[in-house]
Amino acid sequence: MHEKTHKEMKWIYEEIVARIPPFSLVSYQYSIILQLFFLLIIGISLGIIFDLSSVSLLYGSISILVAVLWSLLILQLGPTLRKFRAPLSRDENELLERYKGILFHRNHYEAVPGIVIFIPFMLYLFYYGSALLKFWLGENPSIILLLFVSLLIWDICYRMGLGIWTSILALWRSIRIRNLAEKRTELEHTPYTELRYLRRLDINNVLFGIISLFLLPVLQQDQFLVTIILVFMVFVTLINVISAYTVSKVPWLPPDIYNLVNESSFAYVGTSSKGVTHVTPLVYVFDGQKIFFNTSKEAKKLKIMHQNKKIAFLIDKRDMSNIYENKAVLFTGEVKIYGLMDIPYRFLQMLKARNLFLKKYPEYTRKYSISELPRAWQLTPIISRILVEVKPSKIIYWRGAKQISVPV
Amino acid sequence: MKVPDEMLNILYGNYFGYVCTSDRHDMPHLTPVFFVYDGQSQKIFFITNDKSKKVKNIMENPNVSITVDIRDPVNPFNNEGVMAQGTATITEKGPIYFLPEETLQLYRDIYMEFKSKYQAVIENRPLGENDVIVQINIEKMVYWRGPHFKSVNLNKGE
Repeated sequence: MHEKTHKEMKWIYEEIVARIPPFSLVSYQYSIILQLFFLLIIGISLGIIFDLSSVSLLYGSISILVAVLWSLLILQLGPTLRKFRAPLSRDENELLERYKGILFHRNHYEAVPGIVIFIPFMLYLFYYGSALLKFWLGENPSIILLLFVSLLIWDICYRMGLGIWTSILALWRSIRIRNLAEKRTELEHTPYTELRYLRRLDINNVLFGIISLFLLPVLQQDQFLVTIILVFMVFVTLINVISAYTVSKVPWLPPDIYNLVNESSFAYVGTSSKGVTHVTPLVYVFDGQKIFFNTSKEAKKLKIMHQNKKIAFLIDKRDMSNIYENKAVLFTGEVKIYGLMDIPYRFLQMLKARNLFLKKYPEYTRKYSISELPRAWQLTPIISRILVEVKPSKIIYWRGAKQISVPV
Repeated sequence: MKVPDEMLNILYGNYFGYVCTSDRHDMPHLTPVFFVYDGQSQKIFFITNDKSKKVKNIMENPNVSITVDIRDPVNPFNNEGVMAQGTATITEKGPIYFLPEETLQLYRDIYMEFKSKYQAVIENRPLGENDVIVQINIEKMVYWRGPHFKSVNLNKGE
């Protein structure tokens, strides 16, 4: 049953393309490039046959390019959501199933906004007497040209509709998932990889909005349509920026682990180089999304991490009076070591991490600063203290004697 | 070589050790364990399940390290700890009557030490069917207190 709904996650457009050779024979990225050439060749041939000006050819090509770029972005939704793993929270899972259900509904609601844009636009163009047709095709254009242009207009309108449709749905699911995330218990969560997928889809849609600016020169004769495109661009971009931001604020750790990481003071970091392991306790900070620790430039572990970025990072709560209360979480993965080169791009991130350290370990910071210390213990960022970020690819959680593997 | 007293105090006085192993791809793994230190043989012992990741790692790569420490959330100058590096050996597992006498003796001794050290938590729980004893033959130990470090190399042949 589950398998079936996943296979059916296709839009009209994907379904049609998937059935017509040669598009059906190649993967979807290639099929889109093939469509681009196909349309361009037809357009340019028609232009030459009917002796259109080179400006008309240029506008036609721009429109084709926009339609194809939009396809490229929007058609990633299907494949991305098809490989989406189910969240480990019933509510969040239900929400995402609903989201996918509406997005790829059997009744093809996704075509509705496109039709709503297409019909008034065609009426406006052909009956309301817009000067655009003359601007594009000259006086008394051939019926074949008109058909080709109408096809292009449909392509554009259909995708504009998709852009609006997917943006609104994206914002809705991001806000819902963020609200649901606050009600999680124990180990309920949506894995990090899946949250990243959602965010990437939203960023794709931001690009989608920006690409619509290419249409401005094509429509420049008509102030009204230029305004509409600008409104569309601002709408799609804004909605998706908000959606991407909202989704990036959803905790990727389930509450049990989130709380453990958030409340503990110490961690152990295990490193390994040429088979020889090394383990030391350290202090760390957690900003709700990322885990950072500091290390001295002189430290052995930094030398090891430069040779091998793989680490094991353990945070635990120890209680000798009741071992069933013992909790531990192990992150294994890689580290990102911040250096001078990161300052321009990640300055705010580095500053934020530093402030978190000052807040979480005020006494440490004070004690480190006031005394005469060996170089290894000095606090000067970059020069003697190196910021390191933990990038886990696997999480194991222990509660009492029970070991649970938590998907990332 | 003699192990300095401050190291012994840490090893005898603490309940949790953090064992780091790594697999053949140099991917580290870290777990908290209950352990005992045997002063006579200068070895650290811990008990674990033979299906655990650390046992798999030790089979691929016998190099391990273990850290035992006292942590002070307020004053870093009170942080004190020991990291021991060495190689691990896993005692063979099998029905008791097939084990050689010295392995049996080791099981008895280590188990008794565990029982006396962790009385409060393990009570009278016997060794499980899949439990194995891992012994760490220490080659090097590092001790720290605040910013000060000290290290010893233990002669492996001794």
